[in-house]
Amino acid sequence: MYVYRIMLFLVFGGYLLSPLLMSGWSSPGVAWYRPFVIWGILIALTLWLEQKRKLDER
Amino acid sequence: MNASLASVFSLGMGYLLLMFLCAWAVERGWLSPRVTRHPAVYTLALGVYASAWAIYGSLELAADSGYGYLAYYLGVAGAFLLAPVLLVPIQRMTRTHQLTSLADLFAFRFRSRWVGTLITVISLLAVLPLLALQVQTLGDAIFLMTGAASPALLALVFSALIALFAMIFGTRHGREHARHDTLLAVIAFTSVIKLVAMLALGGIALFMVFEGPADLQAWLDGPGQLHQVSVLQPDPAHWRTLLLLFFAAALLMPHIFHITFAETLSRHTLLQASWSLPLFLLLMALPVPLILWAGQRLGSSEAIGAAYLAFGLSESFWVQALAFLAGLAATSGTLVIIAMSLSGMILNHMLLVAHPPEAQPNLYRWLRWLRRALMAAVILSGWLFYRTVGVNHDLTTLGLAAFVGMAQCLPGLLALLYWPGANRKGMVSGLVVGVSIWLAGLWLPLLTGLPSVILIPPGLEMLAGEPSWYVVTLVSLAANALVFIVVSLVTRTSDGERAAAEACSVDAVIRPKRLPLYATTGEEFKQPLAQALGEDVARREVERALTDLGMSPLDGRPYALRRLRDRIQANLSGLMGPSVAQDIVDRYLPYRRGGLEPTDDIHFVESRLEAYRSRLTGLARELDGLRRYHRRILTRLPVGLCAFGVDDELLMWNDALAALSGIDGASVVGARRDGLPAPWGELLGRALTAPHDHLYKQEVELKGAIRFLSLHRAELQADDDVRGGSVILIEDHSEMKWLEDELVHAARLASIGQLAAGVAHEIGNPVTGISSLAQNLRYDTDDPEVLETAQQIQQLTDRISRIVSSLVGFAHGGRHVKGTALAPVSMATVTDEALHLIRLARSGEDVRYHNRCPAELTVLGDAQRLQQVMINLLNNARDASDPGGQIVVDAEPEGELLKVTVTDEGHGLDARVRDHLFEPFTTTKPPGEGTGLGLPLVYSIIAEHHGRIEIESPPPGEERGTRICLWLPTQREDDEDTDEPDSDR
Repeated sequence: MYVYRIMLFLVFGGYLLSPLLMSGWSSPGVAWYRPFVIWGILIALTLWLEQKRKLDER
Repeated sequence: MNASLASVFSLGMGYLLLMFLCAWAVERGWLSPRVTRHPAVYTLALGVYASAWAIYGSLELAADSGYGYLAYYLGVAGAFLLAPVLLVPIQRMTRTHQLTSLADLFAFRFRSRWVGTLITVISLLAVLPLLALQVQTLGDAIFLMTGAASPALLALVFSALIALFAMIFGTRHGREHARHDTLLAVIAFTSVIKLVAMLALGGIALFMVFEGPADLQAWLDGPGQLHQVSVLQPDPAHWRTLLLLFFAAALLMPHIFHITFAETLSRHTLLQASWSLPLFLLLMALPVPLILWAGQRLGSSEAIGAAYLAFGLSESFWVQALAFLAGLAATSGTLVIIAMSLSGMILNHMLLVAHPPEAQPNLYRWLRWLRRALMAAVILSGWLFYRTVGVNHDLTTLGLAAFVGMAQCLPGLLALLYWPGANRKGMVSGLVVGVSIWLAGLWLPLLTGLPSVILIPPGLEMLAGEPSWYVVTLVSLAANALVFIVVSLVTRTSDGERAAAEACSVDAVIRPKRLPLYATTGEEFKQPLAQALGEDVARREVERALTDLGMSPLDGRPYALRRLRDRIQANLSGLMGPSVAQDIVDRYLPYRRGGLEPTDDIHFVESRLEAYRSRLTGLARELDGLRRYHRRILTRLPVGLCAFGVDDELLMWNDALAALSGIDGASVVGARRDGLPAPWGELLGRALTAPHDHLYKQEVELKGAIRFLSLHRAELQADDDVRGGSVILIEDHSEMKWLEDELVHAARLASIGQLAAGVAHEIGNPVTGISSLAQNLRYDTDDPEVLETAQQIQQLTDRISRIVSSLVGFAHGGRHVKGTALAPVSMATVTDEALHLIRLARSGEDVRYHNRCPAELTVLGDAQRLQQVMINLLNNARDASDPGGQIVVDAEPEGELLKVTVTDEGHGLDARVRDHLFEPFTTTKPPGEGTGLGLPLVYSIIAEHHGRIEIESPPPGEERGTRICLWLPTQREDDEDTDEPDSDR
């Protein structure tokens, strides 16, 4: 269940900080795929938390 | 515009044909269930969220707001990231109560059919622009490819075919709350098509329009900058509002709600979607900027509009076909699922509420055709909205109008999960206010083309000049939530709502009351239900519920009947919605009111707690751990224990009682006391009504044997708790009762033995006198006749003396006489002496004795005590023998021991008794005939002689009978102390 709190923290933290994601759209020198990389990292983190949750509830 | 109408029509028809083929393949079982039930299929089916908006609308939004288009994907990804705390509780609720739509959920929680109707109307109004958006993209795509004058007609043909598909495959199951493998597989198929098409279009943009990622980056850093300056980076507040809208869409949009909650999927699958759906959406979102930038580089955005830039990537028919197929796949999946979910909502919350299906001759068929008609009507209304309204607006305006409308249900949904104090009046008031602002600010302007009417509250003047969708979202949701909270706080919540709130709340456990029903068995449910559903449907529904619960139709336990009623209500809810289902069961399967104040159904609460264990944290988890520990103490108590509620309903039946009674706890818990199997109902009733708290040694017959049980009762009523009842401890005192009986019997025998010793002593004196006189007579006469007579008198008095001496020895219990030395004793002689005494007894006269002990074989022992041993053994053998049977005493040397055997042909010994024969008071004889002391005495005497004893029953090679084997030493051991044997050994 403690994993759920981490998820809640992630979602609300992400919600508040998400406008930072959009700053790279037209900035020269910033890789266009940067938001997708961050998104991919979040998915990997969620997958890891899901595995942790399974162990926690076993 | 290089494609002919026929080729586009063929392309669309080919795709729809593939959809039908996919559905047939699953229906006919051509695809393995391992494939169709794979979690990936569910994730792809959830991809129905990526509607035509994701294909075309995102491009339009990206062209205007840059990465702002990602809000559409990240909002729903956030909702699924919170699946364990947000989606799983809703899934649990919808599954438990068979709720298939948002309207069902609200009607169930706020206990009003009109709430369901209100949610249905709002959903219908909100979803119409989204439906129109789907059809509009279809028409626009056809126009872009063919330049046809009437793409709307072709869009209508495709919509009709999609509606036909939904009507055929969306109503195969009578009830909605079942897993539609076919439908899920087809929606997954459409998701694969749109994903592959989008990735292919992204690849074409990256590698055919640009020359790879490096060229793209160089263009973005160089000439592309000119195009990017027109992009308005969304204000962080706008961005967050968009995120909130799409977050709400994941929970509230009818098609997402249907796939997420109405399809019976495992919790594990839903949790897996928390990362797999965001991954799918990432892949869907990735090609969007690539297509946009490619279109901008090619300069096609001016000509065809940003939403349809994918059609301008190439003049090739196949590239445009990919863009068309991506849109058609997204549109078809969305239309089918929206039609299914909305038709169910309209049916359950509008038609059935207005026209209850009382005793329809064929209810299932009637419902199926109604739903089919409604599906067609929903899709047709989407086309009509597109023709009359949609054509005048861009995709973003249509989409946002839909999402803001559905978001009005968000406060209600969150309160449903996390605020048990929320009530119907508050929810409806808030919803009406919020929806009114939405209608005036977004929906009516959509319809009429008039400007938005938004009343900005004082203090929020800074919102003036902001986009209308943003202002309407903020003002409507804030007003909605505020009115909801205030009205809920100042008005009263009904009992029904409070109970439903507990059932819905994330932290609460359902605490139903223990109320009795009029029906006494499951079978009796059918007749009253038939009045509402018709005989056939009533029978099938009751049997289905019985099968679901694994119950017998004759089970009469009140607890089981309450669960059956709940299950029938849940199943009917899946068929006709919660409002109609509740009306039917309340009317035809009512509870019996009056009598005792109903209390919590503790057994049910416990079973729920068992299921909720993984959800508990912190103190609750610790307390649950303690509860389990205390429960285990009671269930594993080595004494029988049962507990009754104040209404005589059995609440607990522990393991020891189950072992004693042979009745499994699961089969009787929840039954009334008088419904328990004999003799328990009557016995426990006696304990409950007895004036004293204890009943000692109650004689009952259990498993064919008489047992003696002691019952102790205690009341459970406490001052600070409304739960009352009684707990009863049941102790099995049978063994103790038998021991007591044997002790009394032994004491009686002991007193008889003492009497016999006294009598023998009194007889011994005159007999000695007679013997002396006979001796004198022999000295005083030479008459041969007199001498013979005197000799006979002496022999007879010797015999009397031996008998008296034996009786005295026996009465003394074989106590060793101090100072008696062990001497060589012939077992043949000892056996003869014993037989002599045995024959004096009247019983067993027809049993034949054979003494086969060789006369020359001797043992070292006390002849008197060994005789006692033989008497006891022969007595037992005689008692066990049938008339005409024979008993053989034999002896043979075995090393330094002599083995003596006493073998009979009697009925033998039970294996369980045999192991305890040398324990005092163990006997196989009827009460009063045996003391159970004979063999312990034998064992003791043999032990004093340093011998051993064994029992073979039956003897090896024999079918019946018993053989007692004694091993006695034949010569003195060097260190043996023969003078003072320890009688306690």
